[in-house]
Amino acid sequence: MTDRDAGKESEERLAIEAAQKDPSRFAELYENHVDRVYAFVLRRVSNRAEAEDLTSDVFQKALANLGRFEWRGAPFAAWLFRIASNAIANHFAKNEKGLAAAPEDTPEPVVLREVEHRVGLYRLVGELPALQRRVIRLRFGEEKSIREIARALKKTEGAVKQLQLRALRNLRSRMDEEHG
Amino acid sequence: MARGSFSQRLDSVVEAILAGAREPVPPPDAEGAALARVAADLRGLPSEEFRHRLRDRLMASGAPGERRMSPVREGFHTVTLYLAVEGAEGLVDFVVRAFGATETLRTKGSLGGLHAEVRIGDSMVMIGGKEGMAQQNPSAIHLYVQDTDATYGRALEAGATSVDEPMERPYGERSAGVRDPFGNVWYIATYRGSHFVPEGLQTVNPYLHARGTEALIGFLKEALGGEEIDRAQSPDGVVVHAKVRIGDSVVEMGEAHGPYQPMPTAIFLYVEDVDALYRRAVRAGAVSSQAPSDQPYGRVAFLKDPFGTTWYIATPRKEAI
Repeated sequence: MTDRDAGKESEERLAIEAAQKDPSRFAELYENHVDRVYAFVLRRVSNRAEAEDLTSDVFQKALANLGRFEWRGAPFAAWLFRIASNAIANHFAKNEKGLAAAPEDTPEPVVLREVEHRVGLYRLVGELPALQRRVIRLRFGEEKSIREIARALKKTEGAVKQLQLRALRNLRSRMDEEHG
Repeated sequence: MARGSFSQRLDSVVEAILAGAREPVPPPDAEGAALARVAADLRGLPSEEFRHRLRDRLMASGAPGERRMSPVREGFHTVTLYLAVEGAEGLVDFVVRAFGATETLRTKGSLGGLHAEVRIGDSMVMIGGKEGMAQQNPSAIHLYVQDTDATYGRALEAGATSVDEPMERPYGERSAGVRDPFGNVWYIATYRGSHFVPEGLQTVNPYLHARGTEALIGFLKEALGGEEIDRAQSPDGVVVHAKVRIGDSVVEMGEAHGPYQPMPTAIFLYVEDVDALYRRAVRAGAVSSQAPSDQPYGRVAFLKDPFGTTWYIATPRKEAI
């Protein structure tokens, strides 16, 4: 474990303890992990609405059971992933799809890498220049058409496509920088 | 890919990805293929509206009963800074880049400029303004972060100038100061306690440098029902630092000196009864800028206190809470 990881771990531990004493502090844990849980859940369900329902479910359970969480060195995300795996298994059982009925106890490293890759990308979206960020959030987060975005931003459709291109180029180069 | 400009051809790949194509039409070149991979990963980008809705729902359920009775808008606190500056869009961009703020609302303000709302940690900040506005309201802000040095570095990268380099302070904080390109001064701090935000404070706390801090404290108590919770005084009786609780928030203040001069801070305050508080504040010496009136978002009144701070007092409409 690097010093940076150790620092993050102790910050997280403090954040958990603060939220256990005062639930309004849960907001910080939520902000730090909501994209992670969403990305984890989205691998297993077919659409956005299901992913949103399951993510809601995971955080409501986590908040309700936070008092029972004991720090044993495993990251808080691992606890959230366990809740998420159970929620996914229940979801499939309820929908009688018969798939993935057994929860993943410990997600495979390849799954965790994939999830972290996406969380890193979502974070970089937040660092894009304002207009590019809005185009990406509307196009991918809200699934709006180029025409709808052009109308919302009072731009031509061509300009929106250019902004989308610049944003994707920016994201690609930032991802390349971060991953060497 | 279809014929046309590169941005158009790329968009047809994006369109196919969003429509659920597992194997979108392969782009003809290496860059197109790489950008299509980024787009495919973005397909799961969570909607901002969903993230905020869920956060607000969790926070409401975390404090059962309390929030439902409160006049405070969901996700907000009693006190919200309103930073009104020329180039408000740039300020939104700055707080996103420097402090990891999340933009939650962008609309047209009542004067035709921008009105934006951003979340920083557990706090909301309103940002507004338009070019050529008569009165700007930059402010001093005490901002708590996990890592002062890192945030200070990001703020400088995002265009701020240094006021004070990071250092350990005798009052249990590591802190630094920066001035953003729009005139706001940010005291970036990490509290050296069990949590980087001290008990009772929020991520974002207004800091008032006043001439006559003693009188300001009196005004906040009398006009706004504030409660003095902390005071440090010099031997000759000057209030060096004080904290006044208003509702669930804390406003910090200290006597103006040297580079720390009064700023035309504006604060949005959610209250139970706008009319009653307006009368009380005017009796205590505030000057009315706008008497209570009903607006689409609730009942509001504007006041200016004798120390230069503008107060927007408001009760949101029931359905907006």
